[in-house]
Amino acid sequence: MSNVSAQIELLEQGLDMTSALVDNAAAGETSGHGGHGGQVVFDLQALSVFYGDFRAVRDGTLRIHDQEITAFIGPSGCGKTTMLRCFNRMNDFIPTARVEGKVLYYGVDLYDPAVNATEVRRRIGMVFQQPNPFPKSIYDTVAYGPKLLGVKKRGPLDDVVERSLRAAALWDEVTDRLDESGLGLSGGQQQRLCIARAIAVEPDVILMDEPCSALDPIATARIEELMAEMKRDYTIVIVTHNMQQAARVSDRTAFFTTEVNPDSDRRTGILVEYDRTEKIFSNPADQRTEDYVTGRFG
Amino acid sequence: MSTEVRTNFHEELDEVRTGITRLSAGVTELIPRATDVLLDADLDGADEVIEGDTVFDERSLVLEELCFSIIALQAPVASDLRLLVSSLKIIADVERSADLCVNICKAARRIYSHELDANLRGMIQKLGAQASRLFKEATEAYLQNDAARAAAIGDMDDYLDDLHRQFIQVIFESHAGGTIDLQVALQLALVARFYERIGDHAVNVGERTRYIVSGWTPDQPYAESGSNFEIAADDADRGG
Repeated sequence: MSNVSAQIELLEQGLDMTSALVDNAAAGETSGHGGHGGQVVFDLQALSVFYGDFRAVRDGTLRIHDQEITAFIGPSGCGKTTMLRCFNRMNDFIPTARVEGKVLYYGVDLYDPAVNATEVRRRIGMVFQQPNPFPKSIYDTVAYGPKLLGVKKRGPLDDVVERSLRAAALWDEVTDRLDESGLGLSGGQQQRLCIARAIAVEPDVILMDEPCSALDPIATARIEELMAEMKRDYTIVIVTHNMQQAARVSDRTAFFTTEVNPDSDRRTGILVEYDRTEKIFSNPADQRTEDYVTGRFG
Repeated sequence: MSTEVRTNFHEELDEVRTGITRLSAGVTELIPRATDVLLDADLDGADEVIEGDTVFDERSLVLEELCFSIIALQAPVASDLRLLVSSLKIIADVERSADLCVNICKAARRIYSHELDANLRGMIQKLGAQASRLFKEATEAYLQNDAARAAAIGDMDDYLDDLHRQFIQVIFESHAGGTIDLQVALQLALVARFYERIGDHAVNVGERTRYIVSGWTPDQPYAESGSNFEIAADDADRGG
């Protein structure tokens, strides 16, 4: 089977899922409460992730709402990144990883065998800790995804590249150097280029795994500004070590921590508290959250 | 197993708490002093209290600035943020109460040379003692982060309010009986009001303390039990 026909097949499988998603999204609109987001995009039900015998994170139950930024915070090893990687099945790439429980995306179980993981990752994009533009030109980095998806003509490609770079607040800075390598940009610009690349395939969720931890404060502020704009069009889930960043940008915050397994020394991540961000940072319900956000737990 | 990771920051918070406690304890002692000044017609004592108020003002400012700098530099959240924001308000309550003691002493100057009958003196004694008791409770509740004790201050204030009403009645009677003239009656009514206001400030301190401990607010008595922001946000949606 050629690459092209494989791609078409993947897309067709994806379309099945897409139509189910559209139906579910339309049904969801009536029940959503207005204002900030409301419609449930992800519904995690007792989600546990295992690496071999080891349960890295257990019983995560939470709902991610659309047009909101949801932040995952917690100490190292608490499972927040592992949890994030379930949202677009990135854990599939780790041979020993498996999940229990459910990740529903507009009501569709993402781990259903019928669901196409590639289509999942098109709809649910990801931005990583280290900016990782392709060793290609800025233009080609952004155009790569749309090309794979079948956009071949220069005109439509130009459009999607410009639109994506504008949406990532990078267009004005790179408009004269689209043919230059993305690796020549500053760290903050590279990260925005990666956001543009994620946007280019028209996802509806963007996952961010520590997107600013390699950036200086100004570049961080730009990404945070960008996130605030992007949440009008995208659902964003961000993992961050920077609690102030979670407080600044997110609408809801989930706090994870670790607990020691009674039968071994290994630690399993658990979701402690999930609430509106103002609540988490002004009056958290759980003492463990309180201790963590006030720095009484290290 | 909790490990302190922001030692300096939390020491600064302790500094705020002990600083305000000292200030508030000062007011707790100032109230009986003002009462004595009034009952003994002690003009020198009145001057001392009035001049001494600058110390309260200065210490209040220093504590306020400490709160501001911690907020600016340490980005406090959760109970730490509640402590600092509430402390800023408590400082104002305490500072204002010291001013009210000054006002009592100024009233003492104005009614100097006028005799007060036993009924009036007894009432002033009671008002001063109860106001001071409230302030002591508020101060200790704040220092010990004791929400239950703070919650009891409201009831103590009800008694102070009763005393206030009774005192006004006694003032009327004394004035009608000819033992005090109108000017004295007016000054005493103001004094009654000053004690009553001190009680209200103590109640405020108690309420702020409850907020520090649990996020409790008078308008949202169930705030500590769940997602009060969720409710607030939903209300806002319906309203707008």
